[in-house]
Amino acid sequence: MIIDFSLIADYLPILLQGLLVTLQIAAGGCCIGLILGTLLALAQTSDSRVLRCLVMSYVIVIRGTPMLIQILCAFYILPQLGLHIDTLPIAIIAIGLNSAAYISQIIKSGISSVSTGQIEAAQTLGFSSFETARYIILPQALQTVLPALGNEFITLVKDSALASVIGVNELSKQGRFVVSKTYDSISVFFALAILYLLVTSTISLLVAQLEKRMSRNAYD
Amino acid sequence: MLTIKNVTKFFNNKKILNNVSLHVKKGEIALFLGSSGVGKSTLLRIMNNLETIDSGTLALNDKELNLEVINKTHLIGMVFQHFNLFEHLTVEKNITLPLEKILKYTHEQSHKVAENLLTLYGLFDKKNTYARRLSGGQKQRLAIARAIAMKPEIICLDEPTSALDPILTSHVANTIQQLAADGLIVLVASHDISLIKKLNCTIYFMSNGSIVETASSQEFNNNEAQFPLIKKFVDGQA
Repeated sequence: MIIDFSLIADYLPILLQGLLVTLQIAAGGCCIGLILGTLLALAQTSDSRVLRCLVMSYVIVIRGTPMLIQILCAFYILPQLGLHIDTLPIAIIAIGLNSAAYISQIIKSGISSVSTGQIEAAQTLGFSSFETARYIILPQALQTVLPALGNEFITLVKDSALASVIGVNELSKQGRFVVSKTYDSISVFFALAILYLLVTSTISLLVAQLEKRMSRNAYD
Repeated sequence: MLTIKNVTKFFNNKKILNNVSLHVKKGEIALFLGSSGVGKSTLLRIMNNLETIDSGTLALNDKELNLEVINKTHLIGMVFQHFNLFEHLTVEKNITLPLEKILKYTHEQSHKVAENLLTLYGLFDKKNTYARRLSGGQKQRLAIARAIAMKPEIICLDEPTSALDPILTSHVANTIQQLAADGLIVLVASHDISLIKKLNCTIYFMSNGSIVETASSQEFNNNEAQFPLIKKFVDGQA
């Protein structure tokens, strides 16, 4: 048989260690991406032209350069700035900053979907800009963009493999380590694919459930 | 008493409001009547700081209103033409959210206010329904209830009957009349001529940003010929 399941079983603990690191990168990157992405999206809808230009420049730079380069830049630049941190946090920060640019555009489209009339109504009722964003705009925007955000999180999990270039022992790097020991690349990469698939499918299912729940709340 | 004095507003060098001046006493209804684009809605939007004012003043009981912070004072409530309800919230939450977050009511206080208003406006059985699921008439009543909950002294209604059938229009007219009877200063911008018959109000007929004719609804209904501009509009000849 092409796939050696006994080999996969033997090396599964090593691969699961890598999977744990992959999940840490994805979760950390997702948190940074969501928080920073939301702030960037709000800044892009602000009245300040300077702020809008700054955010747009950030988005253009991040979207226009490969994530691999961004991770390497973070790896070499952060220590120059006096931040001597481990490779795992560097990877999380770099991937989070990259994700924020994409998430900001997703959330911005959600914000645009909220009618200006509701924003004006909030204003006449005495809501501040922050309160309007917190209670009126973002809950509706997030509901609209949930499927797109789900896709972004899935991309994040897969992109976490790029962290291996700075020596982070995430799933794909652990896989290559196992291949170097066993020379059975087909079985190992098959196992890696299954593990990635399990994680991305779980995210898809969770997002679908959340979407269903939110739309049920909105339409019942 | 609300005093609007020499209010002027430009949009791209075009004069939208031209020295608009009037007084509205507590318990009175001012009906701004006229074709679309004559500045009726702009006047109401200025009062709610949704548009800036180029010149003129607004005063309540002889005290000048600072329009830049007017929304923080909750003196003026606004009911929009398209209702502008918070669609992701239930009917009850549309009322309780501003009370709790802006006026800092407790959960119990806000729910008590909401339940009283929803009962008054016949929406109590819809309290857990999402706002987007309501009919036009129900949305209009909820929009009024949401504005009233903040206890304003002045309420502005922009085209309150434009999306309603004649029966619902009568219901809304009764509601507007009741708001005035409750002591509010009521400002209505509308091109719905049926309101002249249904409201006991002062009609301010507007054309090109100016008030060009004024009449009480009673005077007009008794002697239409005395008010040729309003009559022409009512007859569809303006």
